[in-house]
Amino acid sequence: MNILTNIAPVKIMLATLAAGIVLLPAMAGAQVLVPSGSFHSVMPEVKGEPVKVDSFYLDTTAVTNKKYNEFLQDHEDWQPQNIPSIFAHKGYLKSWKNANSDDIVNPDHPVTNVSWYAANTYCQSIGGRLPTLNEWEYSAQLMDFDSPSDAQEFASRLMSWYSTVDNENIGAVGSSGIENSHGIKDQFGLIMEWVEDFKPVIANDLSLDCGTVGRMQQLGNAYSYAASIRYITRMSFTPKSTNSTVGFRCAYDVEKITEKEASL
Amino acid sequence: MKKIFLIALFSLAATSLLAQHNHSSDSALSTTEINSEHSLYHLNAEWTDHRGETLSLTDFRGAPVIVVMFYGNCTDVCPILIQDAWRLYSSLEKSVQKDVNVLAVSFDTENDTPKVLQEYAEYEQLDIPGWHFMTADNANVRTLAMMLGVQYSKKSDGHFAHSNLITVLDEEGRIAQRIEGLNQPMDKATKMIESIISNKDKR
Repeated sequence: MNILTNIAPVKIMLATLAAGIVLLPAMAGAQVLVPSGSFHSVMPEVKGEPVKVDSFYLDTTAVTNKKYNEFLQDHEDWQPQNIPSIFAHKGYLKSWKNANSDDIVNPDHPVTNVSWYAANTYCQSIGGRLPTLNEWEYSAQLMDFDSPSDAQEFASRLMSWYSTVDNENIGAVGSSGIENSHGIKDQFGLIMEWVEDFKPVIANDLSLDCGTVGRMQQLGNAYSYAASIRYITRMSFTPKSTNSTVGFRCAYDVEKITEKEASL
Repeated sequence: MKKIFLIALFSLAATSLLAQHNHSSDSALSTTEINSEHSLYHLNAEWTDHRGETLSLTDFRGAPVIVVMFYGNCTDVCPILIQDAWRLYSSLEKSVQKDVNVLAVSFDTENDTPKVLQEYAEYEQLDIPGWHFMTADNANVRTLAMMLGVQYSKKSDGHFAHSNLITVLDEEGRIAQRIEGLNQPMDKATKMIESIISNKDKR
């Protein structure tokens, strides 16, 4: 029962999660400060040494179809009919086909079928950037559990979710009922998300063998299984990949947000 | 027993996710994957070189370009990588050289300011016409790396793990040749650059 060993403070609303899909209003555009700290990565970087992460701002939810559509209105180069093939595979925004700009299907759902290039450009266009892999993983682990059994239950829910992601039934942003202690929602339970450095150099050494799984398992906390699945899945992505279960959210440098607030 | 079960579950989970994008898992940029759509000049970003000049990649359209990604604090591998780029450049006929640009792009966006890059260029005795030690904001540097297929990641000691790659772009910014690894033979790349120039002259 050492499952809580590596867990940082926060709260998980297991009750909400258990209640199933609860449609919450989309908090599009909202971002919160994630304070600096450190976490234990499943990556075999320096054995046992926590990864330090500086403060940053992160969107509370993934970018929605509605928001992405607004971006396309100002950035025609990124519309499906115009995007250069160096920036995306053919599946780019394929779920949007037959939808015109005034009639976005599922406006409050996370945009998916977007390549890394598209996600990166979107975040740049609003003065942000994609979160780094370490920032994303750090934020995802900022959850607190009331008891070891809650943590265990969460871990098994995660495993079950990662093994059966249903791309036909992705809910609205905020609907997973999962959030970290700072109000960052849906890092689990909705979609996979792009990060800036989704394929770290060291990932070349990792493969889907028992040794890798065993090494990642040594972390032994509620997140490690899910984290190792994410790392390994990301390795198969290319920056042009357009997957129906992959979207993104943006991060912001603390200085940029401070400047913005100062200018208001 | 539990472990075996978990491994089986893990494999299942990973397989189901992987299966969804197998159709699109081709490698990002191989040299065979070339058509006009695949020009790096689609990247619309602002760069600053070690002379403090603002540049766009399309400024280099019309002639071959040698691209290398490195970082200034790299004292082990990067000097070799930069020297490799020099080896390729200096293997060209003087008449060819004058049409070729070399872009040495730093992925250490925190430390490698234009001033630091100027010092680096001088130290390497490469503050010469046609050579540009460049930087941009992090998102654009990462995008260029993705387009070239260069991987890099900052380590906790401030150094970077990174791929060693020199890329030759043709006159339209398409990848014409990739030289992977250090101290590689350059003759193929030399011939490629010369053929790009001579084909261009014929037209």
